[in-house]
Amino acid sequence: MNWGGPIIHTGGGWSAIQFLTALFPPDFSPDFLAIAFKATWQTVTYAVAGITLAVAIGLPLGIIASGTILKESSPWRTPLIASTRLLLGALRAVHELVWAVLLVAAIGLSPMAAIIALALPYAGILGRIYAELLQDVPQQPLQALRAAGASPLRVLLYGYLQMALPDMLGYSFYRLECGIRAAAIMSFVGIPGLGFQIQISMHDLLFSQVWTLLMFLVALIVLVDLWSTRVRRSLLA
Amino acid sequence: MSAIREPIVVAEGISKSYAHVTALTSLSLRIQPGERVALAGPSGSGKTTLLYLLAGILQPDEGQLYIDNRSLSHLQPGRELSKLVGIIHQQYDLVPHLPVIHNVLAGRLGQWSLFRSLISLVWPQERQVALSELAKLGIADKAQERTSHLSGGEQQRVAIARVMVQSPSVVLADEPVASLDPARAEEILRLLTELTTSAGKTLIASLHSPYLIHKYCSRVIGLRQGQIVFDLPASDVTEAVLDCLYNLNEYPDEELVPEVS
Repeated sequence: MNWGGPIIHTGGGWSAIQFLTALFPPDFSPDFLAIAFKATWQTVTYAVAGITLAVAIGLPLGIIASGTILKESSPWRTPLIASTRLLLGALRAVHELVWAVLLVAAIGLSPMAAIIALALPYAGILGRIYAELLQDVPQQPLQALRAAGASPLRVLLYGYLQMALPDMLGYSFYRLECGIRAAAIMSFVGIPGLGFQIQISMHDLLFSQVWTLLMFLVALIVLVDLWSTRVRRSLLA
Repeated sequence: MSAIREPIVVAEGISKSYAHVTALTSLSLRIQPGERVALAGPSGSGKTTLLYLLAGILQPDEGQLYIDNRSLSHLQPGRELSKLVGIIHQQYDLVPHLPVIHNVLAGRLGQWSLFRSLISLVWPQERQVALSELAKLGIADKAQERTSHLSGGEQQRVAIARVMVQSPSVVLADEPVASLDPARAEEILRLLTELTTSAGKTLIASLHSPYLIHKYCSRVIGLRQGQIVFDLPASDVTEAVLDCLYNLNEYPDEELVPEVS
């Protein structure tokens, strides 16, 4: 490799200045705001649908992987836990963008491709974290429930889930944040949304539009954060 | 009253050891229905092990345990066992995130179907049963509160309400008042003995305070190093006997145990 050449692309300085000065002012024309709102809405729907699906897949898998509903004596316990952990690992080993490339090839450029591409790796991540949160719950209340005659499923309902829920919910919201970022990035495989609009504006060198779209993205993340805080607080109150 | 009363709890030669420690050695005892038995003895004497064996949480290495003439080793945990024995712990045995009412109704989980258990989290089932127990314990107004918001004494009342809702024949209590100040400890023990006695239940509780033992129990079993050192009516247990039981150096001699025919 030739290390002698300039490390920084010398023509980039001018582009950077252009890009930064475009912040004053960003493009707030009504026409473009309408486009930005529509793109934001698309990104939100993909992210929410994707995460919802991820929770629906990750929760049962996480519960099985945690081993909390399997009796110690059951011969199925070890193989079931191991295979579920393997499945969760496989799901999250593949990045959502790679899933997106595969799914776009398989089912075409549909919103469904974006949603499933997001849901699969996130189910793997959520399932693993759910399993750990369930295992970390204090044991004494669970033992008391068992002593009161509660079966493993009832102990799950009244003990494990109740105690782990605030953290599980908090983590799911954090994953929704990540999901919004990921959904925005789906534009690289041609799925519409905020990222797609950013790409278009970038190609047209309309930096003021790029700034507007970035502001929408930041506002979206802040809103999700506020929502998450409120939900968690109401659970812990 | 029948001429010969059947004991409700029978232990025959039970032994239990953990990895390197022997917790109980060939212990036998009989307890009649309605008795209020205090288990006394220093830490590590086997009180908790005995209670856990009686609760079916642990299994004995040797010997047999019967409650109401039924062998514990042949009972399925859950529905059957929860009708026979229930246990209250020192502390931390409620689900802190649940409203009080659900912690109390958890006493019914051994009897309810899974569907009913699930529904109850939204619409509390058998609400009146739970509320009436909470009322007897003076905390009916706390039914909807989050359990973690209650004080230690109030939480112990919730635990009592749960075991009363479970309604087993034998109520076990593992140091039920150890984490409470003396005034609250007495109040909790008074409520526990009153409620179990009026419901015709047998109570076995590990206790340390001679005052509480004399006031609220009918019988005292002294344990040391996994064996019964004495088994006496509460009125015969003097402070000297208890002091000796807890003495760090001496192993109690026979002559310290009063002669009982």
